[in-house]
Amino acid sequence: MASLSLGRYVPYRSPVHFLDPRTKLFCLVLLIVTVFLGYANYSTTFLMAGVSLVLVLAFFLMTRMRFTALLKSLKSLWFMLIFLLLIYAIMPRSDNLDWVAFFIGNYPIYWASILDALKILVRLMLMIALSLILTASTKPLDLTAGFEWYLSPIRWLGVNTAAWSMVLSLALRFIPTILVDVERIMKAQSSRGVDFQRGKLSVRARALVSLIVPLVVSSLMRSDELADAMEGRGYDPRAKRTRYRKLAFHWGDLIAVLLVGAFFGMCVAMSVLSFDPFLEWFQVAVR
Amino acid sequence: MPIEFEKVSFVYEPKSPFRHDALRDIELLIEEGVTTAIVGKTGSGKSTLIQHMNALLNPTSGRVKVGDFVNSSVKKERSKDLFSLRKKVGMVFQFPEYQLFEDTVEKDVAFGPRNFGASKEEALKMAHEALLRVGLDESFFTRSPFQLSGGEKRKAAIAGVLATKPSILVLDEPTSGLDPASAEETMLLFEEIKKEGTTLILVTHDMDLVLRHADKVVVMDEGKVVKVLPPEELFQTDLSDYSLDMPKVYAFARKLQERGWQLDMKDVRDVPGLAKAIKNGRRAS
Repeated sequence: MASLSLGRYVPYRSPVHFLDPRTKLFCLVLLIVTVFLGYANYSTTFLMAGVSLVLVLAFFLMTRMRFTALLKSLKSLWFMLIFLLLIYAIMPRSDNLDWVAFFIGNYPIYWASILDALKILVRLMLMIALSLILTASTKPLDLTAGFEWYLSPIRWLGVNTAAWSMVLSLALRFIPTILVDVERIMKAQSSRGVDFQRGKLSVRARALVSLIVPLVVSSLMRSDELADAMEGRGYDPRAKRTRYRKLAFHWGDLIAVLLVGAFFGMCVAMSVLSFDPFLEWFQVAVR
Repeated sequence: MPIEFEKVSFVYEPKSPFRHDALRDIELLIEEGVTTAIVGKTGSGKSTLIQHMNALLNPTSGRVKVGDFVNSSVKKERSKDLFSLRKKVGMVFQFPEYQLFEDTVEKDVAFGPRNFGASKEEALKMAHEALLRVGLDESFFTRSPFQLSGGEKRKAAIAGVLATKPSILVLDEPTSGLDPASAEETMLLFEEIKKEGTTLILVTHDMDLVLRHADKVVVMDEGKVVKVLPPEELFQTDLSDYSLDMPKVYAFARKLQERGWQLDMKDVRDVPGLAKAIKNGRRAS
């Protein structure tokens, strides 16, 4: 079950926890864009990935998340790496043609293909890690409140944002409940001799069916009951709503936005100008 | 097969703010053929305890021995053969009807035997046998489990566990949510199974069930076993510490005693027993 609790909200008291959810969402978007920027060459790309990784690790330390979470996310990306390597190896290239890593038969595999695959993998890992930091340090309800705030402009187009954010918060609210259900059903089926970890593909598929069918049934029942309960309490999706918890923007939020914004600006500038720190340093050293 | 707990502790999510010590240094022997009831408040560790009997949970420290199967905190000491353990120890979880998933009742009940290696025909035969035992006749075999009533679903799910013929049967609140008649039927079924040599372990809040069916009661509180004793002794002691109720028949007999009717409390385990005790009793002079 430990793998399922990845990125679950943990109530520590860290600077990241105290930030406004809107700030965190905004910073997350900026940082993810940063991670996906293209740079002058491979060395710069990996240098910047390294910088982002240091940043991510610092956040991990701050929020007291375990590094194993990062490794676990890597584990699930293993398949992706092989897939990407295959795609890049098959795709014909026009650049770096003399930089061959090795030959499979007569077919050349270029270093560029391997590095490109690795690049995407590192980006995905960083993106996952960043999102984990957000979900681990923000209460689901605050997160939805943040989303709703960002959605509020389209309310003027006649979209019922309150209902949307209710849907979102219910979905988030039910994740732990459904995880408990998963655990319960897995245990019940395990005592009937199901092995969820091992076995042939057909056996494993069957094991999965024995989990998913009861899960869907109980989830449908739960949503039905919830709908009844909400109606019974007079829930009206069109009603005007007030908030119990008010979001507040503090000085810390401003500082966080400025810092992340500065980092974002620097990365964009480096990307747009195709800045190569290695080349620059080299020239300075020669001069 | 006896079940032995040797200094078993279990901690949920150690090293996190959610850390919860569910079991603390449990020393317990559950003998073969003795119906053992496990009682205690919600959160006292009953469910965690029974999950160790089937190696659904591994102890954080200590050892659980089920027959010759060892479930230990040390990975090297653990027995490998989970399959034969789970075949021998059947678990009827709370609201077992949520485990149904097949398109017909017989297939669902045959799921257990199939997993434990029976052939398709054997498994179906075992399923039919189990279904008849719980009182679901041929007309139910090919129906969808999702079309059954609540009580019938419960029976089908119980049949799914009985089909593998476990020698230890762990029951977690087997009668909760059932109407009185179905609850009665269900418990009678378990009594019958007990007579055939299956050891029953019963987790419940219903003290009437405990008084009536248990030979021994394990009282748990805050992850510890605080008492192991026969039910008639338990209900003589002060129950309020563990927030247990007095069984209805027992409370009635106690009231009679207070008003001066002497009766043998040993007989008072259910309503007929109470009647007998009253008949054989006499007014104190």
